[in-house]
Amino acid sequence: MINKQFRLFVLLALVLGVGFDLMAQRTVQGTVSDAATGEAIIGAAVRVKEHSAVGSVTDQKGHYTLQLPDGKACHIEVSFLGYHTKNQQIKSGSSMILDVALDENVSMLETVVVTATRTPKLLKDVPVITRVIDAKEILATDVGNVQDLLQAELPGIEFTYSMNQQVSLNMQGFGGNSVLFLVDGERMAGETLDNVDYSRLGLNDVGRIEIVKGAASSLYGSNAVGGVVNLISREAKEPWTLNVGSRWGSHNDWRNCASLSFNTGRFSSSTNFQHTSCDPIAMKNDGDFGTIYGNHTFSLKEKITVSPTHRMKLTARAGYFFRERESLETAHDRYRDFSGGLKAEYDLEESSDLTLSYAFDQYDKSSYALQSGLDVRSYSNVQHNLRGLFNHGFGKKSTLTLGGDYMRDYLMSYQFSDNGAHIQHTADAFAQFDWNATEKLSVIAALRYDFFSQAKLHHVSPKLGMMYKLGKVALRASYADGFRAPTLKEMYMSFDMANIFMIYGNPNLRPETSHNFNLAAEYTRNHYNVTLLGFHNRVSDRITTVWNQALNGMMYENMSPLTISGLDFSASARWDCGLRVRLSYIFTHESLNDSDSHTSTTRPHSATARVEYGKNWKNYGFNVALTGRALSAVTCDEYTSLTDLTETERVTYPGYTIWKLSVLQHIGRGLNLTATVDNLFNYVPEYYYSNSPATTGTTFAVGLSVDIDKYFKDKKL
Amino acid sequence: MKKAFCLLALAFALASCNGILSGLYDEVETTAPFGFKLVNEAEGSGTIYLDVRDYEKWTYINLRERTIDSANMVNDEPEPQHWDFALHRYDVKTNGGAARETEFLTMDALTAHGHYDEGTFVADTAGRVVVDMSTMMDGYLGYHDSNINMVLSRWLNVDTSTMPPIYTLSGKVYVLRLADGTFAALLFTDFMDEASVKGFATIKYIYPL
Repeated sequence: MINKQFRLFVLLALVLGVGFDLMAQRTVQGTVSDAATGEAIIGAAVRVKEHSAVGSVTDQKGHYTLQLPDGKACHIEVSFLGYHTKNQQIKSGSSMILDVALDENVSMLETVVVTATRTPKLLKDVPVITRVIDAKEILATDVGNVQDLLQAELPGIEFTYSMNQQVSLNMQGFGGNSVLFLVDGERMAGETLDNVDYSRLGLNDVGRIEIVKGAASSLYGSNAVGGVVNLISREAKEPWTLNVGSRWGSHNDWRNCASLSFNTGRFSSSTNFQHTSCDPIAMKNDGDFGTIYGNHTFSLKEKITVSPTHRMKLTARAGYFFRERESLETAHDRYRDFSGGLKAEYDLEESSDLTLSYAFDQYDKSSYALQSGLDVRSYSNVQHNLRGLFNHGFGKKSTLTLGGDYMRDYLMSYQFSDNGAHIQHTADAFAQFDWNATEKLSVIAALRYDFFSQAKLHHVSPKLGMMYKLGKVALRASYADGFRAPTLKEMYMSFDMANIFMIYGNPNLRPETSHNFNLAAEYTRNHYNVTLLGFHNRVSDRITTVWNQALNGMMYENMSPLTISGLDFSASARWDCGLRVRLSYIFTHESLNDSDSHTSTTRPHSATARVEYGKNWKNYGFNVALTGRALSAVTCDEYTSLTDLTETERVTYPGYTIWKLSVLQHIGRGLNLTATVDNLFNYVPEYYYSNSPATTGTTFAVGLSVDIDKYFKDKKL
Repeated sequence: MKKAFCLLALAFALASCNGILSGLYDEVETTAPFGFKLVNEAEGSGTIYLDVRDYEKWTYINLRERTIDSANMVNDEPEPQHWDFALHRYDVKTNGGAARETEFLTMDALTAHGHYDEGTFVADTAGRVVVDMSTMMDGYLGYHDSNINMVLSRWLNVDTSTMPPIYTLSGKVYVLRLADGTFAALLFTDFMDEASVKGFATIKYIYPL
């Protein structure tokens, strides 16, 4: 009996206690969204300042729920990377709904980047200046390919035509083989005249592009001499998305895209398709090239991610790319790429993670004879890459990164004797220590060892960088080693150049090396950002072809040392009225140390400008962007004879300026309309040099894309 | 899902070290059957496939005997006793004959029209052909004196004002009047081999007309 009464007493006490407690609690819920677009923000942190134990993270619909322990007034703080943190007061009372709209942090200093340190790090904390072009900027610039985008956004970058209309890069004095292009951190197989196939780099699935100028071989090994350009794919974050789009421009320049993604939390899938085509373009004046070949491409990519546990993420991807170039009346050039990869990411503990990955990339070239219908392959580069990457954080003070790669590089080429093949094995190991010594001072140091089997090359690449924050100013200084190992092509080529001369490889080549010094000051205040960077590169043993009298042909040799120095300035501002401005300028000076001849065709001055104005309402938004690029003339010495390097003649390539106006409109929930007028002032070269813009004057383009999923989703809860 | 992932892993693991999907491409014979091909005795028609990569050689075609021969002009090798026309790279000459370019794009159109002897026939003229390209980058080429038939040599226009040169086939049927007064029809259809390497010639012919 006593027991029964006691149990009843305890039960009543519990019920009453809980009841009183429940009466005191209240629920605050709502949605966190982008103030400009109204799109839900997934993963935003919502915390209550007065109750440190109470907090929430927004779900797939941007929704959050807070259980407050009492009905007293309090403050919540809503934060998300890339947005300004917002504080909101909650009045005393009962449960309520509170929606929060966050303003984007346009300076992007809150953006997480990975390329400079190979670990996620806020842009403002990266010790090496990194330029980020995000998806919104890509959309607003309205470009057809990555070349046009990089040229519009960054001064000092010039894509030109080399022999046979192959695209060639010059980035502040460094060619295509000295600038490492990555897709989600992975190398690209294949090259033509020292450049990767830039048309593989479709923009429809790109989330952002990170550009790190200067040497980065301590993290990325060979080829990262002049810089690294890393295209990072969009993550499938929302439950599902479906976008289709089409863009048409002058010369029947078409680009058609479709993308589909799913995300169920543990499983996500992303599918992307792109098709482009363009008619042949006849130039208006005489020149090194008279007609730009017509071409068409298509690409298909699939990426699947599975998270078996909350600590593990597995990713599988596969891709196919095809390009056909109408280079001859009777035969077309074809380029194909097959890529795939597997990646396992595992959080070992709170402060450590391990990534293991395998990447496969195969780039083929073939010639398709129209009469016979035969498609004959003449080139195949197959790369298998295994990688391990380990990060360990020592609190917020420092991070240790350890990694290693193995790559098998197979190359079959028409430029080898009897269309032969060569194989090279490469292996490397690297370590990096990122130390936040004080709140103001951070230091990063890295060391990497690379081995190349055929070149019998052992190379060690160090890096040391530091950043000191002085109020609104961040000062950065760095030294980095860059190198480029001789390629299989450069070691083993034996190619008859149209009965004109032979080109021979050289197995005894030394690697190209560069000592890169950077000194930068960055001032940031509210919506204003000014950056001034000085750079100096001492480049040794650059690899080029030189006439060899004994062989009566060209042969790959190492060049004399040269220096590339300059200044890189950029200023950007944003006002609340919706106006944004960015100005960038680069001065580059290139000199050969032991020669009076100035053979560099790098333009000493180049600048880009961007003026943008945009507004967004509930069902309508627009963005008008005026972008311009100006490149100075360049005067250089060119050898009058290929076989006798004693006489030169002075040649001047004219400078030019090109402006472009793009209008982007968001209509209703998911309709995007673009209209672009390129080359506004109708610039036409008097003579088309290989480094002249391949333009015939003003061109037009219109585009339409539809985010179909948005018509099936609530815009705001 | 795990199964699918494992299958993908297996697929990549099995991917050949030297690449995948080589079946997408065609293989070509390394020793192509040069000479007279697809000969139709009754119609006197066929196809001639020539390797004309060597800048120092003329390749001689005998339509009656259906034979091919060649001689190195730099080494003063004698030309064959009997031949009707010859190719050096994309240059053409005749053995005392003359030629005219018709407006027809097919052999059938020419034979339907007939009148092979109408129009103006042009005989060979003295000229020179390139025998050494190796000095091109020094601003000059090596030449050798030779007769050339300027009409037949129009079968392929090589525009070297831009790099790389632009190759344009005329696509026209040519009538060749041989030294003995008989007629042949020639249609040049390609200047590359099956692997799209330049320095080859594919010629459809009818002889006698």
